[in-house]
Amino acid sequence: MLPASLDEAVEALAAHPAAVPVAGATDLMEAVNAGRLRPASLVGLGRITELRGWRYEDGGTAVLGAGLTHARMDRPDFAALIPALADAARTAGPPQVRNVGTLGGNIATAAPAGDTLPVLAALEASVTLARAGATREVPVSHLLTGLDPLRPGELLTWVRVPLLHAPQVFLKATGRSGPARATASVALVLDPARRAVRCAVGAVAPVPLRPLEAEAWVAGCIDWDGSREIDPAATAAFGEYVAAACVPDGYGAEGAWEAVTEGPSAAAVRLRRTVAVLARRALGRALK
Amino acid sequence: MTSPTDIGAAPQQDGDAGGTTEPFGLGSSPLRSDALPKALGIYPYAADLWAEGLLWGAVLRSPHPHARILGIDTSAALALPGVHAVVTATDLPAGPDGSPDGAPSGPIVADRPVLAAGVVRHHGEPVAAVAADHPDTARLAVGLIVVEYEPLEAVTDPEQAFTAPPLHPDGNLFRHLPLRTGDPDAAGEIIVEGLYQVGRQDPAPLGAEAGLAVPRPDGGVELHLSSTDPHGDRDRTATCLGLEPDRVRLVVTGVPGATSDREDLSFQVTLALLALRTGRPVKMTLTREESFHTHTSRHPALLRYRHHADADGTLVKVEAQILLDGGAYADVSAEALAAATAFSVGPYNCPNVFVDAWAVRTNNPPAGRMRGEGALQACFAYESQLDQLAARIGVDPVEVRRRNVMATGDPLPTGQAVTCPAPVAALLDAVAAEPLPALPVDDPDAEWLLPGGPGGAGDPAAVRRGIGYALGMVHMLGAEGEDEVATATVRVSGDHATVICAAVDAGQGFATLARQIVQSVLGVSEVYIAPADSDQAVAGPAARGRHTWVSGGAVERAALMVRHQLLQPIAADFGMSVELLQIAEGKITSYDGVLGMPVAEALEGKELWATAQCRPHPTEPLDEAGQGDAFVSIAFCAMRAVVDVDIELGAVRVVEVTVAQEVGRALNPRQIEDRIEAGVAQGVGLALLEDLRTEGGVLANPSLTGYRLPTALDTPEIRVAALLEERDVVAPFGAKAVSAVPAVTAPAAVAAAVRAATGLPVGRLPIRPEDAVTG
Ligand SMILES: Cc1cc2nc3c(=O)[nH]c(=O)nc-3n(C[C@H](O)[C@H](O)[C@H](O)COP(=O)(O)OP(=O)(O)OC[C@H]3O[C@@H](n4cnc5c(N)ncnc54)[C@H](O)[C@@H]3O)c2cc1C
Repeated sequence: MLPASLDEAVEALAAHPAAVPVAGATDLMEAVNAGRLRPASLVGLGRITELRGWRYEDGGTAVLGAGLTHARMDRPDFAALIPALADAARTAGPPQVRNVGTLGGNIATAAPAGDTLPVLAALEASVTLARAGATREVPVSHLLTGLDPLRPGELLTWVRVPLLHAPQVFLKATGRSGPARATASVALVLDPARRAVRCAVGAVAPVPLRPLEAEAWVAGCIDWDGSREIDPAATAAFGEYVAAACVPDGYGAEGAWEAVTEGPSAAAVRLRRTVAVLARRALGRALK
Repeated sequence: MTSPTDIGAAPQQDGDAGGTTEPFGLGSSPLRSDALPKALGIYPYAADLWAEGLLWGAVLRSPHPHARILGIDTSAALALPGVHAVVTATDLPAGPDGSPDGAPSGPIVADRPVLAAGVVRHHGEPVAAVAADHPDTARLAVGLIVVEYEPLEAVTDPEQAFTAPPLHPDGNLFRHLPLRTGDPDAAGEIIVEGLYQVGRQDPAPLGAEAGLAVPRPDGGVELHLSSTDPHGDRDRTATCLGLEPDRVRLVVTGVPGATSDREDLSFQVTLALLALRTGRPVKMTLTREESFHTHTSRHPALLRYRHHADADGTLVKVEAQILLDGGAYADVSAEALAAATAFSVGPYNCPNVFVDAWAVRTNNPPAGRMRGEGALQACFAYESQLDQLAARIGVDPVEVRRRNVMATGDPLPTGQAVTCPAPVAALLDAVAAEPLPALPVDDPDAEWLLPGGPGGAGDPAAVRRGIGYALGMVHMLGAEGEDEVATATVRVSGDHATVICAAVDAGQGFATLARQIVQSVLGVSEVYIAPADSDQAVAGPAARGRHTWVSGGAVERAALMVRHQLLQPIAADFGMSVELLQIAEGKITSYDGVLGMPVAEALEGKELWATAQCRPHPTEPLDEAGQGDAFVSIAFCAMRAVVDVDIELGAVRVVEVTVAQEVGRALNPRQIEDRIEAGVAQGVGLALLEDLRTEGGVLANPSLTGYRLPTALDTPEIRVAALLEERDVVAPFGAKAVSAVPAVTAPAAVAAAVRAATGLPVGRLPIRPEDAVTG
């Protein structure tokens, strides 16, 4: 099925409860080819042009269509708007994949290493979920953690992102030069109006993690009224703080968060080092 | 790619077009004949084969690395509509030794069952197979086969293999090779020691295994697949099926490029068995995951070294222990071990060498042939040792190597004198003299050049540049007494020639080379290369760089015989000797210019045929002290790698690799550079990315997401500083094989460069980010 509008798509999903929506198919076809998924029928979202762009709301919010491709988000006009999301989109796989892979698909797949996810978490974005006759608004973090998951027959239509007009950074460590999934990633955004720093760490846990205490602490170290300077020692300490908050001692073992271990595992030490470097560099770039 | 001479500038056309602009003969660089079809997507691969009424095959594989099979129940699978046959080991004819579950097989030692009988010895080992009328049905049926396993303890640490209970009736030791030469009590003022580890590199062919088997009316079977050893595969298949070899025909189709053996035997025997059982053509294409399970990988290795040297760095003694993990079956482990042992010191002179090397059986995936098997692992270790030695005595790594390099005529530790050209010092000087690439600049536009790649987290302040050198060597052709022979037929009729030779062009460019040889000898531009199949005479496997030498040699001889037949009558007519006639551009001319006759006219409508063989001089096995003339010839190369390392994240970018290689004679300069680029890319992959990991014997990353092949961004700028041409007098055309030695040397060079950048020991390949983080 190839609906040409949102309404048609939502109706198609209502009429065929077993149907699966498909956007760029970069995740979906992988699952089909590996035999993990055998959809009874597909609802293609590619013709719904309204979902492929974005609009503004109330002056301070961008409403992004779920059908925005990574390649589109990487273009300068979008990058000027939400730089961290553009950074994430730029690294989300090889060009062939980014030309068709979409924001909505990245969120719906909710892979631990999904590159847009920590950015959306740091931006405290929310998504609109549409069903025949009803829509609801859910924070991205609730959707990802399963607190409020996507329900059968529901379509992810819009992603609401606050426009902060301040530096934002997304950094990703992959261990190689060619395109690859993140071993760890950090999204960091400044919110000068609220004098806040928001940060999320991707790929180290099933969902992006927010080091809230570290965020609050570092916000207090920044000279918000002046040139937004910060003591380099504070930048480094922030990195360590974020790493310790997001990587448990027992990282790599089952039930890592509950495990009582004697000091951090070797895997935890390695990952913390990476996260600390990423967080430090991200803050440094945002305040440069 | 930059090169000293822009040899690619000549206009290239389709290989079969006999136009005047087409590069012609030896020493020119015509485009590979399969290059365009492959680039355009019209090259037929084995997976594209089709036959009327074909069935689809699928294989059931062991989920355990080691288990006893208590029972197999195929009834549910057989009952599934659309299923035509389900086969297990009991469906195979008894082996020649009477073993009820079929003859075991393998390239050197026959120890590997086609389908597991009684016991499975590695994760993914084939247990049963199905033929059905739809691929999904076949896979569904595979899922319905019930196998009762009793899991056994898996031996996955090669060091445990010595003491573990035997995993196979043949025991756990594939080979122990001691090498002793010189004075065991010799000692040097300086001693450096190291422990080196090499992971499991997989050939990861982009074209996964695929093939078609068609039953023949005479009770035999015809196999269409991308074999790289059609006769060997035919013979082994026939043995396993209890057929005469002439009842099995192997047609080589759609080889996607191979850097190792293509098609494991189990795959093709199972395919043939299903076709014989059902009386219908059967096609099978493996999934990516199965592909990782089915072909052999590179031997993981553990190498312990101690180098003794004088205060000035001159080597006094090398002691080493080398352990190769051969996995569950023998395959070519014994041969890989010979290379690791014989080249354990590298292209250096050392009077006293004491090595113990073992290849053992474990419950890990079987290891086998892969570009420079054995030689590569040793190269990483001896080159790392020389870097340590240089650091210890405080001299430049290039200088330490200069003080020790071997030259033509010097002996290997096996006692064999290196009689082929060995201009190792000149190679080293050539790479060392090349200008260095520019340093990274702190500029947003150049951010993508930082370690970690475009969009990565690179920070110029944390980047350190490192430069490393390595020298590598590897033998060509079969070693230790293996009979090497190839046969080729050349035919001339009208204005064109045809080559019939069963040598498979596995991407090494043999077909292009054969065309060039015939062009050079017979002066005709149109040369057709017949597709390879096992009804032709034996040419042997495409491995160890042997086709350029052996099959190329056979083609040349056959072409020369045809040339003689062609020129003899003319020479007689004109009362001059054949040597005074020459053929060029399709025309026979005499030395004095009196005669000028087109080849087609000289033929008078006749066809001329000749068949010839090439058999290099014999070699001998290494004895109980590792001594003997085991190799026909040896290839050498020198490399310099330049890397940038983000020392906080451990991200490594190989900026440039500079290569100098001894090629004997450049028969097709561009193809040589292609092979060098391919070898370097594969070596860089092993150095930084490629590792087929196992957890308790179970493959952890059998996918192209998990198994990281180098992409264009991971592959450095590759510069060829020199192709030294010193003819190897015993080789046809004087040419050496070129593909393996760059792959052997590149990992050591990259490791040396990372060592230089970080000051860390770097004793493990691939280098993980955590191995390159300082502080
Ligand atoms: C080679 C390769 C490399 C990759 N590298 C990366 C990477 O580095 N980083 C990264 O983050 N990702 C990567 N990906 C994953 C993938 O490209 C992204 O997750 C992409 O954003 C998915 O978008 P899509 O439009 O292709 O989704 P699809 O495959 O079309 O859909 C994925 C899932 O989302 C559902 N879905 C899609 N749209 C909607 C919607 N509007 N409403 C409800 N459900 C929906 C589908 O039903 C399906 O379950 C890679 C993929 C490949 C193949």
